[in-house]
Amino acid sequence: MSGSTTRLEGKVALVTGASRGLGRALAVAFAREGAALALCARGASALGEVARAVAALGADVLAIPADVRSSRDLERLVALTLDRFHRVDILINNASELGPIPLPYLADYPPPAFDDVLQVNVTAPFRLTQAVIGGMLLRRHGVVVNVTSDAAVTGYAGWGAYAVSKAALEGLTRTWTAELEGTGVRMYAVDPGDMDTDMHRAAIPDADPSELARPDDVARAFIQLVTAADPALVGQRVEAAALGR
Amino acid sequence: MVASPVRPLPALPAELRANLPAELRGLRRDGVRLMVIDRAAQSIRHARFAELASFLRTGDLLVINRSRTVPAAVPAHREGGELVQLRLCVRHAEEWHVLCVEPDPPHRNVALREGERLQVAGVETVVRGRRADLLLLWRIDALSDGLERMLRSGEAIRYSYVPQPVPLSHYQTVYANEPGSAETPSAGRSFSWELLLELRRHGIQLADIVLHTGLSSLQDDAVDAEHPLFEEWFAVDATTAEAVNRAPRVIAVGTTVVRALETAAGRDGQVGVVEGWTRLRLEAGSPLRAVDGLLTGFHEPQASHFDLLRAFLDEPLLERAYREAVAARYLWHEFGDLCLIL
Repeated sequence: MSGSTTRLEGKVALVTGASRGLGRALAVAFAREGAALALCARGASALGEVARAVAALGADVLAIPADVRSSRDLERLVALTLDRFHRVDILINNASELGPIPLPYLADYPPPAFDDVLQVNVTAPFRLTQAVIGGMLLRRHGVVVNVTSDAAVTGYAGWGAYAVSKAALEGLTRTWTAELEGTGVRMYAVDPGDMDTDMHRAAIPDADPSELARPDDVARAFIQLVTAADPALVGQRVEAAALGR
Repeated sequence: MVASPVRPLPALPAELRANLPAELRGLRRDGVRLMVIDRAAQSIRHARFAELASFLRTGDLLVINRSRTVPAAVPAHREGGELVQLRLCVRHAEEWHVLCVEPDPPHRNVALREGERLQVAGVETVVRGRRADLLLLWRIDALSDGLERMLRSGEAIRYSYVPQPVPLSHYQTVYANEPGSAETPSAGRSFSWELLLELRRHGIQLADIVLHTGLSSLQDDAVDAEHPLFEEWFAVDATTAEAVNRAPRVIAVGTTVVRALETAAGRDGQVGVVEGWTRLRLEAGSPLRAVDGLLTGFHEPQASHFDLLRAFLDEPLLERAYREAVAARYLWHEFGDLCLIL
């Protein structure tokens, strides 16, 4: 660890979609704060590279190549994580699917692609959260962060399936928060804003990178959210830019 | 084994075997029935599991087994190419003890050869030999990355009364944590978090242990009738030990919890912080030092489960409860109804 504070010493964080973009930045940021990490992504080699980077920061890390659409992969991810670390304190549902590129209008959207986006962006976070929240409820402690987007609240042409999925994820966050009242387990939906990532380049190739947030800065906002436990933000849609970095 | 002095109970009607979890039978997970046996009053009442809070008191401690079920039935190929199914029973660091059965129902036992090599989930293992005390269990070299391999290629162990595969998620309790059970700790399977949080609001406490279950059947009626005993790994942590020692009434959710807590209990009834293997056999006359009540499923009278129930119930009340459960058509086995013994 560097000389900085380690606010997540002794905590275990599980991050999906950890091989690139925000997921990678979150893995690094959590490692710097002293957390143990379980990381998953579809691509084993990119995931392995992130795992080596966070291990070099001193983190205890478990990398599990997994496709969150597969129930067998989800069970393997959860079981191996709990076998190694015995608990999950922080779950970040970050893995996201944008859909076909360039983004088609809903009138033209291939239905199987629509289903696939909902499966990755809604069903998988639901199932993964369900699989780990039991342990959190037993210990009366835990944080789940669902990564959302402003597409959830604003209609942008072409963003159909992605927008629907993120609106659903925010609905899931609100409902689950009502059910978690008084349990000590918190859930948030965080909109990281427009970031300089592969996904953003795929969606909006001509965006000016200098106007985009850096994933590392956004990751610091996540740390702030997870550690500060501001009751006013629980269950809310939180914009990363509005959090202290 | 000492011969049981008991007159035989009538056989369980086949249609009372639950063949699907409640939530796949059009009910809620916690929508099963609950038979409540009050030992002091010698009474038997019939209720819904969702009404559990009304049978408990503020301050009662429910102790659950948080072990996660693994897909412990794993396909394997013998040297000649023959496909068999290995069922994990005991997982030691260097050596696994497995049942070897035919891949299809009725899953009869298959005899392996000492020194034989098996291909299991993409890796080779060697059969070391039979277990001296349980000849149907084979000792094999522990698979490297064995848990991961099981999770990739195994299925939940399923008995004949469950005709179709049921997804593993339905075998898990809603609080399943560390993986390791070959069969689901089923007494707690019917809990929903909605019910558990309601119990908390009523001042009923919750604590947890881990006990990784082995096999409930070795696929041989004669051997199963002898009630084979093998070791199971368990852990009772400090938080739970303190809660048990403080609680006015401790109710074990499942016989695995009874086994863990009674192993961890000293002669003075105080439960210690213990982890390791238990070989404790509980039967009629066994002292219950830590546990005051039991929530359990209904299992065949031939199963060792009934031996353990005899530690809680005298023979007349046990027999009465059995006959009443059959007459009232309670469903049996891991997806069935529940019984609360107070």
